[in-house]
Amino acid sequence: MTVPLYHVLVLAAILFALGLACVIAWRANVIMMLIGIEIMLNAVMLTFVGGSAQWGIADGQLFSLMLMALTSAEVSLALAMVVYLHRRKQSVNTDDFNSMNG
Amino acid sequence: MSTYLALMLLLPLFGGSLSALCGRNLPRRLVEIWVCAAVWGSFVCAWLTAVAYRAPVKVALGSWLAAFDLKAPLSLYLDPLSLSLVLMITFVCGLIHVYAVFYMAGEADYARFFALLNLFVFAMLTLVLAENLPLLYLGWEGVGFCSYLLIGFWYTDQKNADAGRKAFITTRIGDTALVIALAWLFQLFGTFSITELNGMAFLVPGGVITAIGLLMLVGAMGKSAQIPLMVWLPDAMAGPTPVSAMIHAATMVTAGVYLLARMFPLIGGSATVTAAIAVTGCLTAFYGATCAVAQRDLKRVLAFSTISQIGYMMLGVGAGAITAATFHLLVHAFFKALLFLGAGCVITAMHHEQDIYKMGGLRRTLPVTFWCYLAGTACLAGLPFTGGFFSKDSILGAVWLKGGMLYGGLYLLALVTALLTAFYSFRMVYLVFFGGNGHVHQTAQLKPMQAVLIPLAVFGLLGGLLNLPDYLGGGLLDHFFAPLRQGKAAEASHLQEVALQAVAGVIALAGLWAAHLRYGGAARAERLMEAKRDSSPLLAFLFNAWYFDALYRTLFIRPYQAFAAVLWQKVDEGVIDDSLDRLSGAVGTTGSWLGRWTTGHVSLYIFSFAAGGALILGYLAWLAL
Amino acid sequence: MIENVVFYILAGVTVTGTICAITARQAVRAIVYLVTSFFALALIFYLLGAPLVAAFEVIIYAGAIMVLFLFVIMMLELARPEKLPGPRLADWWPALLLMLATAGSVVLLASVRQPLPQAGFHGISVREFSQALFQRYGVAVELISMQLLFALVGALFLGRRR
Repeated sequence: MTVPLYHVLVLAAILFALGLACVIAWRANVIMMLIGIEIMLNAVMLTFVGGSAQWGIADGQLFSLMLMALTSAEVSLALAMVVYLHRRKQSVNTDDFNSMNG
Repeated sequence: MSTYLALMLLLPLFGGSLSALCGRNLPRRLVEIWVCAAVWGSFVCAWLTAVAYRAPVKVALGSWLAAFDLKAPLSLYLDPLSLSLVLMITFVCGLIHVYAVFYMAGEADYARFFALLNLFVFAMLTLVLAENLPLLYLGWEGVGFCSYLLIGFWYTDQKNADAGRKAFITTRIGDTALVIALAWLFQLFGTFSITELNGMAFLVPGGVITAIGLLMLVGAMGKSAQIPLMVWLPDAMAGPTPVSAMIHAATMVTAGVYLLARMFPLIGGSATVTAAIAVTGCLTAFYGATCAVAQRDLKRVLAFSTISQIGYMMLGVGAGAITAATFHLLVHAFFKALLFLGAGCVITAMHHEQDIYKMGGLRRTLPVTFWCYLAGTACLAGLPFTGGFFSKDSILGAVWLKGGMLYGGLYLLALVTALLTAFYSFRMVYLVFFGGNGHVHQTAQLKPMQAVLIPLAVFGLLGGLLNLPDYLGGGLLDHFFAPLRQGKAAEASHLQEVALQAVAGVIALAGLWAAHLRYGGAARAERLMEAKRDSSPLLAFLFNAWYFDALYRTLFIRPYQAFAAVLWQKVDEGVIDDSLDRLSGAVGTTGSWLGRWTTGHVSLYIFSFAAGGALILGYLAWLAL
Repeated sequence: MIENVVFYILAGVTVTGTICAITARQAVRAIVYLVTSFFALALIFYLLGAPLVAAFEVIIYAGAIMVLFLFVIMMLELARPEKLPGPRLADWWPALLLMLATAGSVVLLASVRQPLPQAGFHGISVREFSQALFQRYGVAVELISMQLLFALVGALFLGRRR
């Protein structure tokens, strides 16, 4: 498996950019924003694994694992909040929740 | 000698300081006695100095300014000029102090008044005795300062405060010219000492001497109220009468003449300067006389008369006759102080009425005042054989003997002025003392006030003895001043002297006769009637002092005020204040505009977040390129 | 050799799946596309010598997290047929711009560094991985477990019945 690290990084960059595009384009919708964040996190995990493969150190993969655990915790909380907000305002439009301003 | 001089200066200084610092807490009599004693003590010291005087001497009292090259020690110079002036100043001021005690008996703020009077004497003595120019300038500024405070003594009345300010600002113009001359002299010669400077005239080109001389002339113009800086003196009559007598008749206004006389060896070499001095003096003399003819206020007549007589002294200096000018200075001090003090008696008696058209008949009710006043007027007019006659004539003679077209013309103008002088002085006497009922308001102070007038009258009348012309035995002052004379003033033959004196005497008598015709006897009532009606344009012109005030207002004051208004409203408020206001407004506006970023919408925040991150990454990538 | 080709194919699948996920108009479709993408990604992980991470990617990510998403979407009963108000063009162009900026910067930064040593591929075995995890990163494991506890408590709190 002799794919140069550079190509792996390019792929990760593209995925990260796509995740960012999703967040920006769908920034009016909470759920799609969360999906964009997931994509970005995956791109990061890819970077770590690529690095670990390049130098043969396990730390990269380990951190990927941590990321995954972190993501699951975060997603559960985020979605709980989405449910809660939906109960309050019957909407998943982010711009409806703007009372923290001024 | 140095002890006497030091005491002479320090006594009035201490007197003034005492009165200023604790005069209010001490008993009034004590303060009054103390200040009068201070000035009379100075007189005693001056007398002792005169007795011990042998030759011009420099007395060093201590060190004052000393930095690198600049040395101005406290040194005094005693020579005939300063000695004679010192004697006159202390004597006249001593008499006036006594007078002022009674004149100001009703004034509550006596401590300030007497403090200023004493400080004035100290400053004037410093001015006259100074051996170096900074010390002279110290005295110069001191007298100006005391004059300002004394003119505006009753400062709660706006007019008085304005008059004081006007005096100060006008003389300040002259002072500036004097300072420029001082600095220039130091830059040229490296020394401030008058004795040294007076010997160095030949070292610099004539143009420089002319320029310095003209600058000093401007300084003298301001202090001595000559054209064009004479506008302050008539208004300065707003001060108390003793102040007018002391400062604006006998001493301060003569400081300009003294300066020019003192520096004459330095600046007299330039014909332009002497001509300028003479022309200034003569024009001013004429101006003063014409204005005095039309005045209604008693003190204003005397003020214009002072302007005119100082003009004569300047004319004498300009003709190179220092002795004659000093002679007239001394005699004028006596009779002008006498006239002012007499006017003070009259004003007090008339319950502070100052319009001469409302007075009359005081000859019978104030006899002492009348006879002394008459003596003073005779001296002023130059009636034959009074002190004023000899002194004025010696100036006229010197101008005649100088020769040339310019001086010939000045001589004629001076003669016309003499005629006018006699006319207005007797007009004053006729209107105030003759005719009508002499209803006066007798107060307890009048007696001692009138008593002070007597010695002054005596000195005025007998002042001629100081310097009799050659055909009568030679002048004391001439001999006394012999060491001062630079180059021989032209000597006149006895016949010429008698002829000149005859001319002057005739002119004076003609003026007296004209005044008698117009204001004496029956004609007086007619004049009073006329005075109630509107005056002719010529009279209005003279009454308003040739409209110089209006001229200066249009030429200088209005533009200055407009300029100041522009600077105030447009520049200070518009540019400086408003720019700061606008800056702060802009900052505020920017802040609130930026504040619109906090909408509370998560979408905007996420977008900003991502944009910021992209910016940073882009910057890093750009750096790495 | 063939692994390189597979890698590139899988990379293409990942990217395509992600693009379709982004531009889907219905949330459920987006999720499913994303699952496809994650599967491909997991295979890439395996190719990069990280079998454990690949397995976890499938189990946890595609299997738990995405399912959770589906749960919530269903539960919220968004307006039939669960269509989301799609983004307009005004929303897309800043996205594209930022995407280009970010991706471009990263690629640029990566490329101007010193050339990396040639692809040394070292696969990490499960044994090696576990040893590293529990020996050197033992504390991290504890922390992760606490973190999951926090998330649990938080979710319970947020979801409690009033």
